[in-house]
Amino acid sequence: MSNLEQTASPVAYDAEPRGDTTATYLPRRRLEIGRRGLQLLSWLAPAILLVVWELLAQGGWLSPQVLPAPSKVIKTAFKLTTSGSLLNDLGVSLLRAVAGFAIGGAVGFTLGILVGFSRIAEAAIDRSVQMIRAIPFLALLPLVIVWLGVGEAEKIFLVALGVTFPIYINTNLGIRQVDPKLIELGRIQGLGTLKLIRRIVLPGALPSILTGVRYALATAWLALVVAETIGAQSGIGFLAMDAREFLRTDVIVLTIVIYALIGVAADGIARFLERRLLAWHPNYGGAR
Amino acid sequence: MTLHVAPSAAAVSPAVVVTNLRRAYGHRVVIENLNLRIERGEFVALLGESGCGKTTLLRALAGLDPIDGGRIAAPRRPAVVFQEHRLLPWDSLWRNVSLGLQAGNARERAAAALAEVGLGDRLDDWPRNLSGGQAQRVALARALVQEPELLLLDEPFAALDALTRIRMHDLVRELVTTHRPGVLLVTHDVDEAIALADRILVMREGRIAFVYRTDGRGKTSIARTELLTELGVSAVHPIPARIF
Repeated sequence: MSNLEQTASPVAYDAEPRGDTTATYLPRRRLEIGRRGLQLLSWLAPAILLVVWELLAQGGWLSPQVLPAPSKVIKTAFKLTTSGSLLNDLGVSLLRAVAGFAIGGAVGFTLGILVGFSRIAEAAIDRSVQMIRAIPFLALLPLVIVWLGVGEAEKIFLVALGVTFPIYINTNLGIRQVDPKLIELGRIQGLGTLKLIRRIVLPGALPSILTGVRYALATAWLALVVAETIGAQSGIGFLAMDAREFLRTDVIVLTIVIYALIGVAADGIARFLERRLLAWHPNYGGAR
Repeated sequence: MTLHVAPSAAAVSPAVVVTNLRRAYGHRVVIENLNLRIERGEFVALLGESGCGKTTLLRALAGLDPIDGGRIAAPRRPAVVFQEHRLLPWDSLWRNVSLGLQAGNARERAAAALAEVGLGDRLDDWPRNLSGGQAQRVALARALVQEPELLLLDEPFAALDALTRIRMHDLVRELVTTHRPGVLLVTHDVDEAIALADRILVMREGRIAFVYRTDGRGKTSIARTELLTELGVSAVHPIPARIF
């Protein structure tokens, strides 16, 4: 072998099959395994965490008053569902979220459109809105409670407040970012103001508006959690606070999981809307 | 309003008549005492160095900018094709072409216009799936579907590759022969002007400084030399070697 290597011409050397040729394929194979492996690992890690949690709880190392076993949480979920109270509370919470979102969304959208189109409206409204926006809306909670008490109005108001600003800002921004050349084209094609808004301005602003919707969904949820934690008589937050009184950590964990699931669902809805409404957009649609 | 609707009195109806047009930005006068008449079916090219006022003239004719003096008389709102296609990315091709058409048979008219530019099978496609030349053809269809009496072309082929540009020239010539609008083509390209126009204007310092009529063929080399001289290209460049 060593003799052959010494006498081989450069051409022969190039043509010679060598043991190390596999090395050139190695990085690619490693990547392939890596991608699948990482995917698996990303699901494996939380699964292992759940199993360890379950084992620790079953073995008595983890006090049920600190953290109940996952299986206990599932059992509690089942029990509360069949007894009817969980679904009722979930419905109450969702209703508050939807009502607040509808009101806040309508206000934010209307203001955003007004300010986006009219210099006068911008001068009159924008600074005030920006100033109010600088306040973390949760800081207004004590004031809101003084005004509205701790009833439904207070909860819906807080959600609406959290929703208004992201919708307002992104609607306004979207309108401003519409290509002026397209608006010019609309004029040339003889579009009136209303048609110009419907055919060019709103579709052009839609990506930004939907981004606002996604932010708003997140803040709406946050607002709801906070509002329901204080003086609620029903709803998921009430369930959690009620459970706290009796150290029912299984119920508390359950409510946390429910909040998380609804957050994921809301994000899914926003993504779905983006895919449907922005099918034309290379960054969102994908499908032809 | 910059467009004054005037009934055409003469036997040959002009697509546009510009009288003593003046346009200034502050103290800087861009167009002064400009007169121009384009008949229906006539193809006029407008050459000139950057900043000579040719785009300003086109925008004034399109009614996009106000004018500071004089008069622009056009029977109807002109159609415009820009250097960029300006298609609405969120609308299908037929919706783009029918933009501004009154409802009713909008889709059929858009379909006919798209067929004319060779895209009759792409009615429901998105603009982002088009090449540059195809997008510009849609823009042409959108302009012509309005049946304009005056068609303004603002360097519409400048961003296209050479082969596509030649194909577009053929298409435009064909469409103008069919629809017979008056055409004003603003361009940097002397050869393009010679290839397409009946009349070539050279604009300088806000006025029309030179007029060239391309009556028939065969005089293109003279036209080229003359026009380049008018445009201030002093050295007489030889015509590229003939391939055909």
